[in-house]
Amino acid sequence: MRKTTGKIVVFLTPALIFFLTVFLYPIIRTATMSFFYVENITSGMKDWSFVGLSNYVKLANTSLFRTSMWNLLRIWAIGGLLVLGLGLMFAMILNTGVRMKKFYRAVIYLPNIISAVALATMWLQFVYSTRFGLLTNLFKTMGIDSLAAVEWTGPGNKFWALLFAYCFGMVGYHMLIFSSGIEKIPAEYYEASSIDGANILGQFRHITWPLLKGVLKTNITMWSISSVGFFIWSQLFSTVTSDVDTISPMVYLYNQVFSAGNAITQRDAGLGAAVGMTLGILVVLVFVAVNLFIRDDELEF
Amino acid sequence: MKRIVSLFLMAALLLAVVGTVSAEGKTIVYWSMWEAAEPQGQVIQKAVDAYMAETGNKVDLQFKGRTGMREGLQPALDAGTVIDLFDEDIDRVNFQWGTYLLDLEELAKAADYEATANAGLMAVARANGGGTLKSIPYQPFIFNYFYNVDLFEDAGVTEAPATWEAFMEACQKLKDKGYIPVTSDDAYVLLTMGYHLARLVGEEQVDKIVKEGLWAEEPAVLKAAQDFEEMAKKGFFSPTIASSAFPANQNGELALGEAAMYLNGSWLPNEVKAMTGPDFNWGCFPYPELEGGVTGLNHANFGGQVYGINAKTEVAQEAFDIILKVTKGEFDSQLSQESMGVPSDTNNSQWPDSLKNVKPVYDAITKAYESDPAIRFSWGAGIENNPDMTPIIKQEVQKLFSGAITAEEFVNNLETASSK
Repeated sequence: MRKTTGKIVVFLTPALIFFLTVFLYPIIRTATMSFFYVENITSGMKDWSFVGLSNYVKLANTSLFRTSMWNLLRIWAIGGLLVLGLGLMFAMILNTGVRMKKFYRAVIYLPNIISAVALATMWLQFVYSTRFGLLTNLFKTMGIDSLAAVEWTGPGNKFWALLFAYCFGMVGYHMLIFSSGIEKIPAEYYEASSIDGANILGQFRHITWPLLKGVLKTNITMWSISSVGFFIWSQLFSTVTSDVDTISPMVYLYNQVFSAGNAITQRDAGLGAAVGMTLGILVVLVFVAVNLFIRDDELEF
Repeated sequence: MKRIVSLFLMAALLLAVVGTVSAEGKTIVYWSMWEAAEPQGQVIQKAVDAYMAETGNKVDLQFKGRTGMREGLQPALDAGTVIDLFDEDIDRVNFQWGTYLLDLEELAKAADYEATANAGLMAVARANGGGTLKSIPYQPFIFNYFYNVDLFEDAGVTEAPATWEAFMEACQKLKDKGYIPVTSDDAYVLLTMGYHLARLVGEEQVDKIVKEGLWAEEPAVLKAAQDFEEMAKKGFFSPTIASSAFPANQNGELALGEAAMYLNGSWLPNEVKAMTGPDFNWGCFPYPELEGGVTGLNHANFGGQVYGINAKTEVAQEAFDIILKVTKGEFDSQLSQESMGVPSDTNNSQWPDSLKNVKPVYDAITKAYESDPAIRFSWGAGIENNPDMTPIIKQEVQKLFSGAITAEEFVNNLETASSK
């Protein structure tokens, strides 16, 4: 018994220390920091000034932060529907015995291995360019002048331009997760249902969808985490100064903590910590909601 | 016997280590804001290599980029990382990292540094350092209108406009000739509003407007918006002014000779040189004066990158010697030519050809600063001083410039957005 306890201690202690220092300590420090004014992210606690809930109150009252949260919600909900919907559709098509499955899968996944900087530059400076862009030329060729004249990166349109470009790069990743889930479903289920007269839609509704709930949960959680951390694409679509259309809470946080623009402005790591805590709580809420509403423990296969 | 051999070997090892240390000299850690592939990074690397070859000292030169410096320098210094020398913007180094800086007065005096330095720029560094020299400027810049002289001449504009009336006249002539008078990108478009407002009411008031939300209370905002509304109506702005993602218009419309003017820094010719080629005829003029305005042609944002030495360094003299290597003589000249930038060393009177028309403007402004420090605008004359409002102001400016909203709507939208 003593030997076993010793082994447990020996094997668990490094992991425990690792968890406490790398995860728990930063969470506690960030949570504490969110109630203080802290000029520099590495300032010692002696330099912190207690401000109570005022960082959270300020966030609630700042229209730019509210806008960033609205952008985040749209990215999560609309982008989520688009990415997960397309990801599921492609995964299903690829698992119907289509020829050159590996090739198509690789093509759909390809944007994931290209740097976001390269992808965003392609979208911004080529696809959306009103000077020589793909869309402008395409619509001109088709004779649809009203669409050819659209300024895709102008105020009001830039959010959609960003969202579409971002989703384009994300579909493949979620398709792979769905695909791995579909591949796990025994082929006999489909064979039996075919013999019983089920068509593809029926198979999807009664076999694939119920058995993919676990994978769907994973995908929603992964999508939520990546949405909350939405940063690089926003930065790439609005270099130097942020845009109303593209600002995300993470970019807002970054600007506040690092005074990231060209103007030298007051830094506030405490406010940034409050943003971080708000986003952290959001992820937890989504995780709880997903577990509550999508139950995958009813079926075993 | 074995013990004797062991002792002998240990002594030999010790001697070898000591010998190696003294032979290698001192090590200076230098964090730079440039990227290794940029012209500035390449020349600095050459200067550092030359310094190492001459002194035997080792320089650990790390190119961190702007983002790397802004995110990483202060945490690294707080964590005790050895960084002896670093560079960044003149305001950021002094205002945000001022407590980490070594006072350089004695080192500069000993090297007679200021004998061949721009007095105005040194005065800015000293003012930013709280009255003492804590940073050494290099790669000076000036932020004003940059224009295509050939297009001006073709349109019959013989003189750079000094007043708003002359500016509007020039725009009309350019427009009539088929050129786009003014262009910009989303990264800089907001600064035109900053300069215009600062011409009318001064930077201090611009700062108050953006921080206190005085958009409706300050009549100059409506006046400025009306001026731009008129420009938009007359088609003086680029048709893509609201949607151009940096650097599309500077690389396109301006560099390819379709647009005439761009409010930007003196780094612009360098940034677009691949598109313009060597024959582009650059001009520069100060933002025009406005009737009833409180600031004149010499009021502008100018500055440079600066070197700072860590107050805790043990190699202050060596770090300063690297500064001398980069900012004086041969390598300063190389830096200027390679990056199409303004030289720091006043003995390097040969400016890059592309900046020959910038020199009179730069000289006048830096000279004027010596007697009147109030002429120096900070970035955008304060228009970006409230990060909670900057993206919102930018969007409204884009809409105003593109003619999507009126001057009154501009004022009302910002008044609404800034009221909590």
